[in-house]
Amino acid sequence: MPQWLIVLIQSLIVFSGILLFMRLMGKKSIIHVPPFFVVVYIAIGVIAALLSVNIINVVHGIIALSVWILIPIAASFTAMRNKWFHDLLIGKETVFIKEGKIMEENLLKERYTPEELLGQLRAKKVFDLANVEFAVLEPNGEVNAMLKADKSPVTPHYLGEKVPPQSEARTVILDGKIMDEPLATLGLNRQWLETELDKLGISPENIFVGQVNSFGEMYVDLFDDAIQMTKPKVRELLYATLEKVKADLYTFALDTADEKVKAIYYRDAEKLEQLLIKLRPYLLH
Amino acid sequence: MTVGSKLKQTLASLRGAESVLRTYANQTQKKENKKVYQEAVQVSEEIIYSLEERLKQLEFQEPQYKGF
Repeated sequence: MPQWLIVLIQSLIVFSGILLFMRLMGKKSIIHVPPFFVVVYIAIGVIAALLSVNIINVVHGIIALSVWILIPIAASFTAMRNKWFHDLLIGKETVFIKEGKIMEENLLKERYTPEELLGQLRAKKVFDLANVEFAVLEPNGEVNAMLKADKSPVTPHYLGEKVPPQSEARTVILDGKIMDEPLATLGLNRQWLETELDKLGISPENIFVGQVNSFGEMYVDLFDDAIQMTKPKVRELLYATLEKVKADLYTFALDTADEKVKAIYYRDAEKLEQLLIKLRPYLLH
Repeated sequence: MTVGSKLKQTLASLRGAESVLRTYANQTQKKENKKVYQEAVQVSEEIIYSLEERLKQLEFQEPQYKGF
């Protein structure tokens, strides 16, 4: 067989093999794995490249590749089951800042200078050491910091604001095609979706991405960027309608002369008032 | 506009709002939200009933405005 054909075939085989291996290894992003695995990946890459270009003996290459692939996978599994092994292979976190104070001995242990610590904090958008309550060095080298309570972003809880529970928006249309599975998890079906699109006056083929949130509101992004989509206003309209009805009831109460009827109108208006207060976080947010 | 026709308009708006609330009550999956919407439907129904009663009274008093 001509040399170039051998190289071509070997390259294709090694390429597919590595592709399969990457899926086996899992989804841990390359940025966040402990340094040990980075070396493993590099070694695999080099051997695969050499094998593909036929520089090393095929048998040797395959043996080497198997070692570098199978042993890290086995090690990962063992680390998953066995805590002691996990600490040996991947390591434990080191606390760098506790209760706002830097633990200098720990920094020394990890051979971190204070400048490096500050630099890592800045990478996490923390520019003021005084704001940090707790910071830890992860086994993969990242520093994660928790800010002091009064320097953390405000949540609705702190404001005493009631916010209705929500779940994530699901993508139901991708690249013009309707996806039935996400629709089903929302408890909706194609007919509902097609009705909604009719209301907007668009057909699914014109939509690049379409999402539905847990309130049942649709958001679409069209292929044609010239057309402007309006925000869904159904809930605000509902709130406004109820407010108008309440105002009408007060007017009726004022217009009528009969005391009993007046009382009924006022009572109903009060009921609506209470309802509106309850519905406010659900409809107006 | 007479009191009767104003009342009918308000009633129509309230009925419309009630149907939207009913749709939300059916559609939402979170229990807490469902409860709130169902309560809203309940209150709306009570008010609709009371308004319909008043409307009947009015039509009785002024039969020339009866209808729908």
